[in-house]
Amino acid sequence: METIIILVVIALLAVFVTAQYNRLIRLNITVDEAWAQIEVQLKRRADLIPNLVETVKGYAEHEQSTFEAVVNARAKATTASTVADTAAADGMLTQALRGLLAVAEAYPDLKASTNFLSLQEELATTENKVAFARQFYNDNVRSLNTAVKTIPSSFFAGLAKVTEREFYEVEDPQDRIAPTVSF
Amino acid sequence: MNFRTMQAANRRKTIGLLIGMGVLMGLVGYAALSYLGGTSTAIVPIAVGIALISVWGSYYGSDKLVLTMTGAKLIQESDNPKLFNLIHEVIIASGLPMPKVAIVIDTAPNAFATGRNPEHALIAFTTGILEAMDRDQLQGVIAHEMAHVANRDTLVSAVAATTAGAIAIVSDLLTRMMFFGGGRRDRDSNGNPLALVFSLLILIMAPLAAVMLKSAISRKRESLADATAVSFTRNPAGLRSALEVLAADSTVVRQRSTAVAHIWIESPLDATSVSKLFSTHPPIQERIAVLKSMESLS
Repeated sequence: METIIILVVIALLAVFVTAQYNRLIRLNITVDEAWAQIEVQLKRRADLIPNLVETVKGYAEHEQSTFEAVVNARAKATTASTVADTAAADGMLTQALRGLLAVAEAYPDLKASTNFLSLQEELATTENKVAFARQFYNDNVRSLNTAVKTIPSSFFAGLAKVTEREFYEVEDPQDRIAPTVSF
Repeated sequence: MNFRTMQAANRRKTIGLLIGMGVLMGLVGYAALSYLGGTSTAIVPIAVGIALISVWGSYYGSDKLVLTMTGAKLIQESDNPKLFNLIHEVIIASGLPMPKVAIVIDTAPNAFATGRNPEHALIAFTTGILEAMDRDQLQGVIAHEMAHVANRDTLVSAVAATTAGAIAIVSDLLTRMMFFGGGRRDRDSNGNPLALVFSLLILIMAPLAAVMLKSAISRKRESLADATAVSFTRNPAGLRSALEVLAADSTVVRQRSTAVAHIWIESPLDATSVSKLFSTHPPIQERIAVLKSMESLS
């Protein structure tokens, strides 16, 4: 009888430890996936930019400083690797793109061109995707960090080699607002 | 109230209502037992079995079944890139897999989601809703539909339909048996008249109560989907203004079968012909008010 009780207790403990361990690992993988999604969307945006700059240049060649700002921000964004660097470069690029779209406002011919219109839709959806990827990442980091810090899962964080992760923070609160695209 | 407390409250209420369904089922079982005696209570599991088989089929094949019932046609990304852009956005925000997408040729603005699990999800839009709504509004509608997918509302409504169906079958059989006076072989041994009156009352009221509970569950799932949609987009204004467009529009989809009424974002049935207790959707003005209160928070 006693051995049965001991065996049952050991079995329950094993189930508990496994569940805690797996939960932490799963949360960690979800954060990795969410981070990959941010990178995919940032890359998508970076790929759109040369085309966008060329299109705007065709109508507004005198806005050299605006183009440079965008191209520089894009270069920084494509080389950043850490969470903080990527977030900072992402913020700068959003700012630069806002400037570029503001410039475009002054050229009615450009605004009416079909190429620009389709680029605008692409840019609008990409900005939303970047913002949602960011939000999804931060939500998952929040769950992971809560699990790492709270009992009982905190006891198993070392065993699972899972540590707190960094939030994706865009510093300038203005940067949180994607460039407004009017149709 | 923010969307997180809203989600938690709606989940709790759904569980409460499902427990209510279980209790109702138990009462019907008790009625069967007290009126007909031990031997005939076998009809309870039989009724549950019949209901399960009929509902399970439609649950398992819900994506295909609903396509034929509503006349929706599946579309590819190249057919409507802008719609797919919006769906991709919500997919990223929610972390759900990409659903199948369908279009219903109908000028009435409406949309629905179905499918037995997120991997077999299907979301459909009428051509009317795609024309009537701007980017933010459509994003809100898509988020609401994907919220149904995330909350597994096809499963919840299948469970509700199964119990309601089983209760209807049991009550129907028992009242028929009473009417023809059959089955009461142990009349002398079980003669408590109060219990018999009580059982009779239960059997008459149960199917009605079951349908009311089923509708209440559907209404709670709609409110929950609104709250979950906001958790995806963090933009209550988009869904709110989408609902305002739906409220202002008086046309209804042509396929107004009651069998699929609960899956649309806006009830396709006339508000006047369905009383509040049996309505599958909360009043649209109430939903708009809740979303407005979320807007004032952010």
